[in-house]
Amino acid sequence: MATVTYDKASRIYPGQDNPAVDSLDLTIEDGEFLVLVGPSGCGKSTSLRMLAGLEEVDQGSIRIGERDVTHMPPKDRDIAMVFQNYALYPHMSVSDNMGFALKIAGTPKDEIRRRVADAAKLLDLEEYLDRKPKALSGGQRQRVAMGRAIVREPQVFLMDEPLSNLDAKLRVSTRTQIASLQRRLGITTVYVTHDQIEAMTMGDRVAVLKDGLLQQVDTPLGLFDKPQNVFVAGFIGSPAMNIATFDLVDGNATLGESSVPVPPAVSAAVKEEGSDTVTLGFRPEALEPVSSESEGGIPIVVDVIEELGADAFVYGQPAGPTSELQSDRMRSETVIARVEPRNVPAKGAKVNFRVRPGNEHFFSVKTGARIEA
Amino acid sequence: MTATEAGPRDPGTDEPQRKPRVRQPGVGVGGKAIGLLNGGFLLLWGLITTLPLLWAILSSFKTNGEFRTDPTGLPGGIAWDNFARAWNAANIGQYFLNSVIVVAMSLTMTMLFGAMGAYVLARYDFPGNRIVYYVFVGGLMLPVFLALVPMFFVVRNMGNLPIVGQFLGLNSYLSLALVYVAFSMPFTVFFLTAFFRTLPNSVAEAGIMDGCSHFTLFFRIMLPMAKPGIISLALFNFLGHWNQYVLPLVIMQDGDKRVLAQGLGTLAANTGFRADYTALFAGLVIALMPVLIVYLLFQKQVQAGLTAGVLK
Repeated sequence: MATVTYDKASRIYPGQDNPAVDSLDLTIEDGEFLVLVGPSGCGKSTSLRMLAGLEEVDQGSIRIGERDVTHMPPKDRDIAMVFQNYALYPHMSVSDNMGFALKIAGTPKDEIRRRVADAAKLLDLEEYLDRKPKALSGGQRQRVAMGRAIVREPQVFLMDEPLSNLDAKLRVSTRTQIASLQRRLGITTVYVTHDQIEAMTMGDRVAVLKDGLLQQVDTPLGLFDKPQNVFVAGFIGSPAMNIATFDLVDGNATLGESSVPVPPAVSAAVKEEGSDTVTLGFRPEALEPVSSESEGGIPIVVDVIEELGADAFVYGQPAGPTSELQSDRMRSETVIARVEPRNVPAKGAKVNFRVRPGNEHFFSVKTGARIEA
Repeated sequence: MTATEAGPRDPGTDEPQRKPRVRQPGVGVGGKAIGLLNGGFLLLWGLITTLPLLWAILSSFKTNGEFRTDPTGLPGGIAWDNFARAWNAANIGQYFLNSVIVVAMSLTMTMLFGAMGAYVLARYDFPGNRIVYYVFVGGLMLPVFLALVPMFFVVRNMGNLPIVGQFLGLNSYLSLALVYVAFSMPFTVFFLTAFFRTLPNSVAEAGIMDGCSHFTLFFRIMLPMAKPGIISLALFNFLGHWNQYVLPLVIMQDGDKRVLAQGLGTLAANTGFRADYTALFAGLVIALMPVLIVYLLFQKQVQAGLTAGVLK
């Protein structure tokens, strides 16, 4: 059991100017399940591979517990990794695959057999122990890859998108299995994914990366409720948050005829940085339909309706007299709103929405940072 | 009326003629003709290669009398005596043994060193990697005959080295095996480098995470994964080494150390005077057997080994 500490760790690939991971500062608690998430090329896999020892650390250091592992070879770090394509040894049986690390380490045969059997029982792999990986299904291979990590009883588990090669249904069930397995074993885990739903459902805490920079680390709910910048706000949450640049006029954020009241603290902060615009974000579920006459509504023409049964989402375009301006100022192509699943508007209908008070997120136009209300 | 009647009739009769004419080059009779041509050509080719072989095998069962009176006929009985004469009197037994010893040594070394070299060239990045690779590939262009004379002197002078000299020099199994290794290394490295490059990186990384050193990673993980390529190349090299004639001719001058190909050459030359043709054929069949067996058992891998270098 151990903590993991990234201390201003950077990785600059040879021949590149920009670091793939830029002075990452991150502390992972003992037994914690931390998820690294971000769009492709954000440096999440590189961060994991730096911890694994498969990638050099050019600046800063990485510690596991109190040990500085920055320049330690992977085998001395006491870690185990699950790869995206599982990376099973094709010429070895399942039990040999799982016991290989112990065999290399010179563990006695009885001990290897016992630990492999334990892991196989835990993962429901007992009847496949003599098979070769090619005779297994995708889900079984994934479990063997997990088993290979578990038998080593390492201080830290590293998982690099272990679910992305599974089909959608299996991914959801395996997701909960891995999370509960990790809770049971209590081993510190760093998990990389590009899927924010995976990140939100599995992680004790989630670290969001973009362009090699750490954007925010928080609990899933913390990220959802208080995104620290525009990127996190747009990345976390499904469907994505609606974000647009609003003018600040008389204590109201206005864009065309839509207007949202702004708390005084926010107005003050915006004035302080010498700006008269503010980036306003509101989640689809923060919108509610109102009558067309009411003040400050956002009129939308419905393009597409997604009916999921428990939820329904309206995808639409701004429709008022100033719709062009509104479209220009928006971060995305469409405005998304959650509506009552049993009471959806018709396609092409014009609906007036309003933001439920207290559900707005304000961000600085200049820095993108959150402005606390 | 006749004109109008003839009008619609003409296109009517023309159509069935026209349609096949349009289709012909693509799918109709043309396709069949090409198939027939292909088949016929392959059949002819097959006969050209197998008939002499069958004739040699049949002749090896005949008595010399039968062979002289009717060279193309079937044998009356099976004259095992031919094989005994070839094996003992013509010394084919000794030559066979020599071939086995040399090929066993050369093949083991070629595959071991070839795989190790190719693995490092394919998967490790170090300055000069490309240069070493191209030196190996450049070796493919060197004709054996160009190297014969210098090779002879190098091998002869190696016999003068202290300590190791007694195992080297002319008329030494090890010398010949080493020469075979040198000549088969370029293609082996070229082919296996391409093969090792195709192996997934993540498996190697998993091995590193599992605590492998460079050597365990190679011998326990990467080499077993490269087995299909290794087998193809081992077969290819086996056939090449077994059938080698020019190199042993230069190096193995001592009568007892000659390999099978040389032995057959001697047998053929001597037969000219003693006219023991059937013993010559028996010797040929003995020399042929291992090659034939290898071809029959490992057809697929031999084919892969021969074509992979071309296609990639």
